[in-house]
Amino acid sequence: MNLFGDTWNFLTDPSNWQGPGGMIELLVQQLLLSLTALALAVLVGLPLALWLGHVGRGGFLAINISNVGRAIPTFALLAILVTADFPGTQEFGPYGRAGLATLIALTLFALPPIITNGYVAIREVPDDVKQSAVGMGMTAAQRFFRVELPLGLPLIMSGVRLALVQVWATATIAAMVAGPGLGRVITDGFFRSDYPKGIAGAVVVAVVALVLELLTAGLQRGVDPTRRGPVRRADARTEQPVGS
Amino acid sequence: MHVKARRSLAAAATAGLLLLAGCAGDDLSSSGSGDDSSQSSDQGALAISGQSFPEAALVTAMYDALLTDGGYDTTVKLVDTRDIYMGAGQFPESIDVVPEYVGGIVDFLNTTENGANAKPLTTPDAQESIDNAQDLLDQKGVTLLQPSEATDTNAFFVTEQYSEENNATKLSDLEGEDVTLAAAPDCQGRPDCEGGLTDVYGIKIEKILPLGFASDQTYQSVLDGESELGLTSTTDGTLEQQGLVLLEDDKSIQPAQNLVPAISSDFLADHPDVEDILNPLMAALTTEKLTELNGRVAVDREKPEDVAQDFLQQEGLL
Repeated sequence: MNLFGDTWNFLTDPSNWQGPGGMIELLVQQLLLSLTALALAVLVGLPLALWLGHVGRGGFLAINISNVGRAIPTFALLAILVTADFPGTQEFGPYGRAGLATLIALTLFALPPIITNGYVAIREVPDDVKQSAVGMGMTAAQRFFRVELPLGLPLIMSGVRLALVQVWATATIAAMVAGPGLGRVITDGFFRSDYPKGIAGAVVVAVVALVLELLTAGLQRGVDPTRRGPVRRADARTEQPVGS
Repeated sequence: MHVKARRSLAAAATAGLLLLAGCAGDDLSSSGSGDDSSQSSDQGALAISGQSFPEAALVTAMYDALLTDGGYDTTVKLVDTRDIYMGAGQFPESIDVVPEYVGGIVDFLNTTENGANAKPLTTPDAQESIDNAQDLLDQKGVTLLQPSEATDTNAFFVTEQYSEENNATKLSDLEGEDVTLAAAPDCQGRPDCEGGLTDVYGIKIEKILPLGFASDQTYQSVLDGESELGLTSTTDGTLEQQGLVLLEDDKSIQPAQNLVPAISSDFLADHPDVEDILNPLMAALTTEKLTELNGRVAVDREKPEDVAQDFLQQEGLL
């Protein structure tokens, strides 16, 4: 009875990955589910958080409401949504059984880190920087897009990354309502006392979470306008005066 | 104020720790060996353990009432899974009596001894299943008494409406039909579930929704018409009230899961009267009666102990 050996065997057996119901298909389903929920949360939460951060008001309320959301178990929320007449358990396109309910639950789950980080990122841009921008005659829109947003971007992005990894791992609950995703492998394994299978499912979810984290971290480094390395060297050479 | 508040907090925390320690010390082995309490009753101490789901709790309560009436000083421990009371040092070492199911205990002994993919010893016949597993039972030191006629196996239900429209009262009536099945996640491929429905009955299972065994989601899925067939047990007392009906397993794909008392062989040798106490109960129980009693617990929210007491008096066993 070698649990880890059996888990390895399960993971290295191609037949567990291929075909309908294979782990590749489930992985793609879960990625689709996670990315859609994340996109919805970014669309809904980020503009609100950034605007509140910009005007510097109402953030206390926004953060606390979204933090209450954090305290609600996502599974309980899903169970309630599934029991209700709407959204219920209807098939919802590629999101499978109870797809809409799962998307709503995961979107709400993704909101708190996005809202909190978005608000704090803009709010905490140093006052002297903001005041210099005002002094330079920038309009509110210019201040937001040229000063606050670039300076706040790392924190905003880390909120989105956090949300993505959390949503990805939590999306396994779709299996509780017979939805798609790798949660199927985990529940199936444990219900059959086939622990290697259940653990294999969990391992795949964890590894993909790490990959997503690394990918998004790399992406963030790539697009970060205030990134240190090369910029600082440019500063040091002072060939282009920065504040002219 | 602060100091006081902190002190009472500390006191509360300490009390909590003590409680925890108390719980940890109160394990099954200590409750089974209560020799010092044997003076208070004629027959001495007897430890019962069983699973905690409603039907098992109900049957355990019947055992408890009858054995107490027979002069035993009983202690009862209900646990979540069979693995717990079958663990090292538990049954049959420190636990004497367990209300069991023939297939349940035989499968458990078979898979723990011969691996998860061992050839099943259970058949649709209770006595045959026990005979097949006799060596394993002897080796474990467990004796199974006379099995009851009451049996709790997988069973499949449809709505009353579906049953009438398709003229279906037994599973073979669904031969060749396309159905969606709401069932436990481990249903696929099992000979007592999807495998048997497909291979033995020739039912075309289009899709299995893993919504759970006799769970609310499974009932709801069938009631909503999302699935035609749902998985539950033969003794489900909630079906009638929901407008659902069982289809008869007329080709016997279910292994015997008759109720049966499992007794520590050593304990039985010292206390042969336990058999005389429990045999009449096994004779009195039928699947129909058990279903009705389960319904009283699940639907009417009566306590298992009260339902057990009621039944035993009705049957003249107490």
